[in-house]
Amino acid sequence: MSSVVEQQHDSAGDPAQGSSGAAHASAIDMRRVLHRETHASRAVAAVIAGSLVIVLCLYALLESAVRAIGQPPWLIDPQTAAERIVALPSGLPPLLLGAAGAVTAAVGLFFFLCAVLPGRRARHLLSDRRIAVVVDDEVIAAALARSARLAANVTQEQVMVVVSRRQVVVNVRPTSGVPVSENAILQAVEEELEAMGPSPMPQVTINLSTSGVVGA
Amino acid sequence: MNGTPRLLNRILLGILGFKLLVIGVLLVLLAAVPSVAAWWHSWSRSVSDSVTAAFEGTQFPGRQGSWLWVVLALAVVLLIGLMVAWIAQQGKGRTDLLLAAEDPGGVPGDIRIGGGVAEQALKNALADRPDLAGATVSIYDVKGQPALKLRLHPRPGVAPQAVAAEAADLVDALSAVVGQRTPVLVHIAAGARTRFSRAERVR
Repeated sequence: MSSVVEQQHDSAGDPAQGSSGAAHASAIDMRRVLHRETHASRAVAAVIAGSLVIVLCLYALLESAVRAIGQPPWLIDPQTAAERIVALPSGLPPLLLGAAGAVTAAVGLFFFLCAVLPGRRARHLLSDRRIAVVVDDEVIAAALARSARLAANVTQEQVMVVVSRRQVVVNVRPTSGVPVSENAILQAVEEELEAMGPSPMPQVTINLSTSGVVGA
Repeated sequence: MNGTPRLLNRILLGILGFKLLVIGVLLVLLAAVPSVAAWWHSWSRSVSDSVTAAFEGTQFPGRQGSWLWVVLALAVVLLIGLMVAWIAQQGKGRTDLLLAAEDPGGVPGDIRIGGGVAEQALKNALADRPDLAGATVSIYDVKGQPALKLRLHPRPGVAPQAVAAEAADLVDALSAVVGQRTPVLVHIAAGARTRFSRAERVR
């Protein structure tokens, strides 16, 4: 704890303790907020999709307006476009048609999967009695890597930790000639994980690589 | 925590994605399978005939042209407006008021505490910590109530539970100052700034 925290307590603690204006405190459903924090909002995909539709609509409006005032079309006028579409496999090389179709289908699949998949983010919750805490998996991995590194007595580059929702994989490359205890690493990582208490709690797996690092 | 309409996003993205997928697969089949081309010819010919008939039947009285064009143009403009509204909904919900309450004392008037108070207090308290690379504080309007979001960027290797506990202490101190318990979300995040920063090796 830093001294800053204590100062804040001292200067602010007493006078406000009596005036408990906290009666209507958390009417906000924190579970809903946490669910929203750990799942993707798809805002980026939505903005892309919206812009795409707007551009297509603007182009259609432009061509119809050009036709309505009797000017020559910019790229293609609506009537000709409709006739071309009706006559489709002819008029275009099949390779181009197939490629255009594949690109369209891929874009469609991207949007469709965005909508259908659960969209979990790589985050865990920490249980704290007062506030809601969300932690990026990368932060958890860094903390676990540190404790594994200290337990194995190796350098930072010899440890790699991958954290997923229900699994933690710790990869350690020991220094050549220096024995490393797998149990010690497992214990250290599990202790750190227990102290952290992420939910859902992942399982720990240790991978000791058979080849060592020279001169680390 | 923001007011992004998530269900709407999923529905609209699903509809658009499905349409594009169907069109793309149809184009690929048209290019590859001759029997699909034959079916497409007969089907699209009948559709285009009925569309032409519809345009013929909706001529302006006494003038050249169909009023269906006007309807179509209006529909497209409406669609553009809806899309703009949809995009504008993304990421909404920031607010600048931490507390708005009626003063129960003898002086007439009410109290407003701006978000800058929480922001400055928390940022100052977190400023010279060696284990944090950065902190941002924002206030969101969640269903008409202010809520604090505190995003902390610890350096690599810092235990998140320690950061969370100290953030909880700070938030307690803040709510004692303000006199109201504001709902708080702490997001302990990794980012470009923490990734390239030096890990604390000695503690």
